[in-house]
Parts: sequence; structure tokens; C-alpha cells
Amino acid sequence: MGFGDLKSAAGLRVLNDFLADRSYIEGYVPSQADIAVFEAIAAPPPAELFHALRWYNHIKSYEKQKASLPGVKKALGKYGPADVEDTTGAATDSKDDDDIDLFGSDDEEESEEAKKLREERLAQYESKKSKKPAVVAKSSILLDVKPWDDETDMAKLEECVRSIQADGLVWGSSKLVPVGYGIKKLQIQCVVEDDKVGTDMLEERITAFEDYVQSMDVAAFNKI
Amino acid sequence: GAEELALLEKLLGLPEGNKYGVQGERKVPVLQTNNSPGLTGLMTIAAHLVKQAKKDQLLGSTAEEKAVVQQWLEYRVTRVDGGSSKEDTRIILKELNIHLEDKVYLAGNIFTLADILMYYGLHRVMVDLTVQEKEKYLNVSRWFNHIQHYPGVRQHLSNVIFIKNRLYTNAH
Repeated sequence: MGFGDLKSAAGLRVLNDFLADRSYIEGYVPSQADIAVFEAIAAPPPAELFHALRWYNHIKSYEKQKASLPGVKKALGKYGPADVEDTTGAATDSKDDDDIDLFGSDDEEESEEAKKLREERLAQYESKKSKKPAVVAKSSILLDVKPWDDETDMAKLEECVRSIQADGLVWGSSKLVPVGYGIKKLQIQCVVEDDKVGTDMLEERITAFEDYVQSMDVAAFNKI
Repeated sequence: GAEELALLEKLLGLPEGNKYGVQGERKVPVLQTNNSPGLTGLMTIAAHLVKQAKKDQLLGSTAEEKAVVQQWLEYRVTRVDGGSSKEDTRIILKELNIHLEDKVYLAGNIFTLADILMYYGLHRVMVDLTVQEKEKYLNVSRWFNHIQHYPGVRQHLSNVIFIKNRLYTNAH
């Protein structure tokens, strides 16, 4: 079981195929299984893996409730298609159904390792926690960027938009939405820190790409 | 029509007792009430029941969600119930398949009345689909399978089987 390495393109493809006919990782409601896999993925899956992206955006909408979802988080290797090799390195699991463990000493070694791992993780958690900044006010903004006509290179347009870098600005997923006459607008999500980035600034910088961008609107603005 | 309204009542946890009739040759459902001529129309009655059960979130929370829910309810009544030729059905499945490509529910991330009524409306269609067709409309199948497992929805309707392994090659 498992999806392989979820930080690799191959792993994401396995996840994508798995989710083609499923709404959730396990069962028919969102659960800790979904959260476990969601947290293992670095960024939203690319647009062509549309099943994975659909699932990702859906689970993201449960972000505030994630602690209260049912189930218990298991190791990543426990989820996913049965015929994929578990490469997550949770070695203790693979022995389950096989022969009786004849070498009792293995258990001791593993628990030593497990203990060491746990202590390392605790230390990491502590240091991370102490460095955690105070809560910052953020907003999630959905922007509509419109091109001049249907001949505009939307890929280049998206590149230009994403090239806009600023402290407190993080680009999210995007999609192309047809608006008629063959023209598509770019709908792109971003998360901004309210103190640092405002929609005026975004508008200025996006419309600066005059060759590609005709106009920009804020399609949705939500406080996080 | 009237039968699915009874199913909806049960799903919403409403007490039995509402009286339904039908009107006209298109068998439009009518809810008989004590002090007025009665409510007519599937969408209208369904929305009324949802509010009676105080489960307004099933109609959508934001203005946009509410509009999307209404859009799909209208679609159900005009397209799914209205057209029943093989060609009409094919077009409906194709449109739904495209819409559901990036959504878990019809309205996006929340379960709404649109999903419930579309499920009841499409049940007779899904029951007759071949394995190949279910694979072709993969997103509709995924959505349908999800909704039929939602607590309280399916009730006595037959469970439509969707096999896990893809038999036909993926044609995205």
C-alpha cells in the first residue's frame, strides 16, 4: 500500500489514479486519512492531475476542522492502492502478515531506534514551536486576470503573474476559465499577509504586463 | 416526483404526514397544505421541506453557493426530467462529467439539496449504464457512488455497483 514518494511526480500520479473514482482516501467522508496524505504533499498537485487536484482543494476546505475529522492518522504506507510497494520506510509494518518473528532481538533494536526517532522529533517540534511567529492576519484572494484576446499566450500570462514576488505573498492554484468567444481568463488563488500586500499593489503589478494582461479583478476575497 | 419527496422527508428527519398529489399530464407534484392552495413543483416543495427541517445549509451558505444549488435544481427539472431520449441522457452525463471533474459535490465542497435531487433523478439512468459507460463518465460515477453512500440518502433504492478496477483504457 502507500503511494510511493508523494513528493515526486510518480507518487502524485499514483494518488491521482487512486482518486479517479474516489472522493476520499478512505470511505465516503473526510477523515484523518485524508489529512495524513494532504500533509505529505508539498504543494497543490498540477492541473493535469485533476483528480488529485480536486481532492486537494476539497480537503483544503476542511483545513479548519482537520483536528475533528474521524479516524486515526496512520503511516502513509497504510493508505492507497493495495498493489503499490510501500516505500515510506515504515519497516515495522511489512512484517505483520508474514512468518513469526524468529529473531526476538530485532524488536529490541527497532524500539531503540523508534525511541531515538521519537526524541529527535520531539526536539525538532520544540525548536519549531519556539520559533513560531505570532499569528498574522492573512487573506485568501481569488484573482481574475483577463487577456486581450483569444490569441494571448495564457501560459506566458500565468508565468508573468507568478513571477510577481513579494514578502507576504504566496501564489496558489490556478485554472483557466472560458468567458466566451474562445477567450479564457486566468483564475488564480493567492494568500497574502494583510499588512504587507494589498490588492492595489497586486493590480498594479499584474496590469504592468501590458502585453498580456488587459485587466484584473478580485473575484473573491476571504479572511483566513 | 412525489415518491422522492417522501424519501427526502425521511432523509431530512421530518415527521410523516405531508400529503402529496400530482397535477397535469407531466405529473407535477403538489404539496397540500391546510390554509393555502398548495405548493406546486418539485424544486419548490423540496426547498420548503429543507427549510421546515431547519437544514438551510443544504440550500447553500454563500450567495454564490445558493445560486449554484438553484442552477442544478433547475437543471434536474428541465433537463433530466424533461428530456429522456438516449441522446439527451448522453448529453446530460457528459455535461455533469465535465462539471464534476474538479468538484466533489455539485456545489463544490458542500453537500446540498442539488446533490440529493440529482441523485434521485439520475438513479434510473445510472442503474442501466454499462460498465463501459460508467467508466466513460468517471466523475459522474465517482460522485454518484459517493452520494449513494451518504447516510440516509439511498434508503430503499437499489445500490448501483461501480467496480474499482478500470477495465477500459483511460481516455482523458
